[in-house]
Amino acid sequence: MILEADYGEICRYLGYRRDTPPDSAMEQTIRACARRLEQAVTPRWVSREFPLTRLPDGTLELGEVRVESKSLSRNLKGCERVIFFAATLGVEADRLIARAAAVRMSEAVILQAAAASLIEVCCDEACEELRVKAEEEGWYLRPRFSPGYGDFSIAHQRDITALLQTPARIGLTVTEQMLLAPMKSVTAVIGMSRQAAPCHRQGCEACGKTDCAFRR
Amino acid sequence: MSFLEKLGRERLFFDGGTGTLLQAQGLKGGELPETWNLRYPERIQAVHKAYLEAGSHVICTNTFGANALKFPDGGEWDLDEIVRAAMDNAKKARAETGREADAYIALDLGPTGRLLRPMGDLDFEDAVALFARVVRVGAAAGADLVLIETMSDGYEAKAAVLAAKENSDLPVVVTTVYDENGKMLTGGTIASTVALLEGLRVDALGVNCGMGPEQMLPLAEELVRLSSVPVVVNPNAGLPRREGDRTVFDVDPERFAAVMERIAKLGVWGLGGCCGTTPDHIRALTAACRDIPVTPPQRKGRTVVSSFSQAVEIGPMPVIIGERINPTGKKRFKEALRSHDLEYILNEGFAQEEAGAHILDVNVGLPEIDEPAMLEEAVCALQSVISLPLQIDTSDTEAMARAMRRYNGKPMINSVSGKAESMAAVFPLVRRYGGVVVGLALDEGGIPDTAEGRLAVARKIYSTAAEYGIPPEDIVIDGLTLTVSSEPKAAVVTLETLRRVRDELGGHTILGVSNVSFGLPRRDIINANFFAMALEAGLSCAIINPLAEGMMGAWRSYCALAGLDSQCSGYIGAYSGQTAAPAAPASGTELSLEECVMRGMQEGAAQAARGALDKGAQPLELVNSALIPALDRVGQDFEKKILFLPQLLMSAEAAKAAFEVVKAAMASEPQEKQGKVVLATVKGDIHDIGKNIVKVLLENYGFEVVDLGKDVAPEKIVAAAAAPDIRLVGLSALMTTTVVSMEETIKALRESGSGVRVVVGGAVLTEEYAGSIGADCYARDAMATVRYAREVYGTENGEEKA
Repeated sequence: MILEADYGEICRYLGYRRDTPPDSAMEQTIRACARRLEQAVTPRWVSREFPLTRLPDGTLELGEVRVESKSLSRNLKGCERVIFFAATLGVEADRLIARAAAVRMSEAVILQAAAASLIEVCCDEACEELRVKAEEEGWYLRPRFSPGYGDFSIAHQRDITALLQTPARIGLTVTEQMLLAPMKSVTAVIGMSRQAAPCHRQGCEACGKTDCAFRR
Repeated sequence: MSFLEKLGRERLFFDGGTGTLLQAQGLKGGELPETWNLRYPERIQAVHKAYLEAGSHVICTNTFGANALKFPDGGEWDLDEIVRAAMDNAKKARAETGREADAYIALDLGPTGRLLRPMGDLDFEDAVALFARVVRVGAAAGADLVLIETMSDGYEAKAAVLAAKENSDLPVVVTTVYDENGKMLTGGTIASTVALLEGLRVDALGVNCGMGPEQMLPLAEELVRLSSVPVVVNPNAGLPRREGDRTVFDVDPERFAAVMERIAKLGVWGLGGCCGTTPDHIRALTAACRDIPVTPPQRKGRTVVSSFSQAVEIGPMPVIIGERINPTGKKRFKEALRSHDLEYILNEGFAQEEAGAHILDVNVGLPEIDEPAMLEEAVCALQSVISLPLQIDTSDTEAMARAMRRYNGKPMINSVSGKAESMAAVFPLVRRYGGVVVGLALDEGGIPDTAEGRLAVARKIYSTAAEYGIPPEDIVIDGLTLTVSSEPKAAVVTLETLRRVRDELGGHTILGVSNVSFGLPRRDIINANFFAMALEAGLSCAIINPLAEGMMGAWRSYCALAGLDSQCSGYIGAYSGQTAAPAAPASGTELSLEECVMRGMQEGAAQAARGALDKGAQPLELVNSALIPALDRVGQDFEKKILFLPQLLMSAEAAKAAFEVVKAAMASEPQEKQGKVVLATVKGDIHDIGKNIVKVLLENYGFEVVDLGKDVAPEKIVAAAAAPDIRLVGLSALMTTTVVSMEETIKALRESGSGVRVVVGGAVLTEEYAGSIGADCYARDAMATVRYAREVYGTENGEEKA
């Protein structure tokens, strides 16, 4: 199945607002770029469950990975297990953007926004699949929480990618400086709880950077 | 008998999975299995023994992840000791099972887990060095072969093969991972990978991991069909599935063996297993396949070059090699080389790809530049964004060697001649890195003026190549196109050479076609007709300008007429809906230059500029009264959030198109530049889109940009900033982790005593943060950088002028 980037999100990443939408010519360009991207990439994702324990000093133990993070701890409140999750659009997205950057920068920024949306769509689809499967077994999933959110250190990208063997399985690696490569990739932790949580704070609303230009 | 003596002749069984067996003995998920070589040698030996007893002939050392990235110097474990212990464990197991005569120890090399530059941050040579270190230790400890496995990037596999060959004399076997469509994670196909690995002279190649034997069947068939060396297939025991906290595989030993039997009968030589397979799987496998006779691999004799993702076969369909990446006779190209304008070179590549070229010739030779460095850089830039194979075109052996080493595939090489000196320089490179090489039919005696003479040189080239182990299919003979206006028989001799190389030597041929028409009017006419004649005489590949419609027309016509274009679909695809001649260009737009720029109309802006110049407008006046005001309006609207980034850039692109027209009109006048700015994305950071946006806008406002690219070391930035006319350096970094590099770079700039100002930008930066790392200015977007650059250069210019 070919996933489709979210047009509204692409526009938001490009700086457009509800009261200042792209004109029809720009809309066409944006939609064409999104189609080109969708056809060029092969999104891939992997996940795996681990038990969750809370040590007396507040440290979380996700399988064998120890994490000190108040934000993650809050996100995982009431959870007994976690899912490690990783997804990537692959090198083709990077290649397409790099190529456009040499020819026509306006297309490169549109492709880059489309790729940012597409990886989110891919994560949403994958997480929906995980949610359905988990609910069959009586588990409720929390919103995915990525290294870099709040005080959850991006250094944990290494643990997640190592345990999921993402380099070999989906081609996702972490650079020396903790950047994900390919660029359009996500790693995350998803809490599993026996209770449905009322709170569904996700994305921007959960982020501490309140002065961000892209905040919804 | 040695491993090499049995290679492809006698059936050899490889071993199966290690990870699952070790996990059953208590290996934890985050634990590095290689540490068990030292911690629990008896457990590792037990695994090897179990496989040897099950019938494996090749056992792999427990060194899959043994590299200096996972075991850094000064860390808890000593890498060399781990590799030596792994070798000891394998040797001990072999001795204790009494299998010293017929079992071989493969030094196992798995992927580094990092992406190579430019998509990742691991340098190609660093990857070579990581593998080299393990190879040296393993070879010294007595490995019988090197097994490079589970590679999902052909480029990384190349680094590993070079490391193995440059640091040992051991046989090299490479198996890579494909998905069910036969594609690697980084885009390679079976055909492109076979070309690459055969070029690197590996001893056997194949597939492992990723899927079970059933899914591998069609891939195994394709491998046997394409490969001239023995094929190895090591599947998983099906697809992995989670059961609670355990990974399980669903193909049991009997089913595994049954499918492997079919794989063996396809002509696959080496059989074993990967994840999830156990000694029981291997026992069932050996029982099922032991008596299937081995079919020695057939030499395929195909002439193939490849890129990271594509294989291009030369013949039976003639192949177009685009000639435009070459400065000869091109002022603008020379200027691009001098100013290090890689973008210009890339765009020459894109245009030819779109026009239908199959391979791109890359020649960047210019007396005043460092050709080896430039060629390497151009090849790396092109291969990261263009999927066509490249033809490395140079007479400088060092440039050729460097470009071939970094090339991500099996390149075409232009060229070698029949001169002893040329062959002695070029053939060792082809032997080492692989490639299809153009052999010029000339030697110490010059260019023979008969076809017979040229054939004699061709024979000498083939036979000398053979001495280096280079097969005839890796050579295409250049029949040499001479100028027909100065030598009436020139074309006739060339055409006869083509025919006879094909008929008498069974070889492929190449020509630089358009040389034929020097000195004649309407060269396009005679070029296209000579090209058609050459194709009919057997020409296998042509170095031409694919943007020349007549040439592509001749090629498409030939393919259709020679029965090479099934149902004329290529011809129809190119020309359907067209009348005999291309339609006249659309009439000029009525919009003014300013409007075109503000609306982001590239074509329109160029036309409007041309129109204004035709009507007598002065170039400079056009810039100052139309272009700059339009850009300013757009810039202001962007800052007021009336228009947005894509429109800002489209206007910039439209303005650029108009500037090109204006520049051409004032070619003779000195160009006024606002100033020169160095831009770079800092070391360790691979996100350069922000920097690229800034570049487009700065250039628009008349600044000359020295773009150092991404992941740039501080020293390189300091060196570029030391140029006398640089007053501003712009740095970008995406994350807090790479802002550290930014800080280091600023520090290095200050320590160098350079008086440059530094403007920084990037997602996590703020005014305060930028100040704390010593930047002079924080730019929240590209327009802010432009404003700052105008301030830095504007005021200072003003003072100077005053």
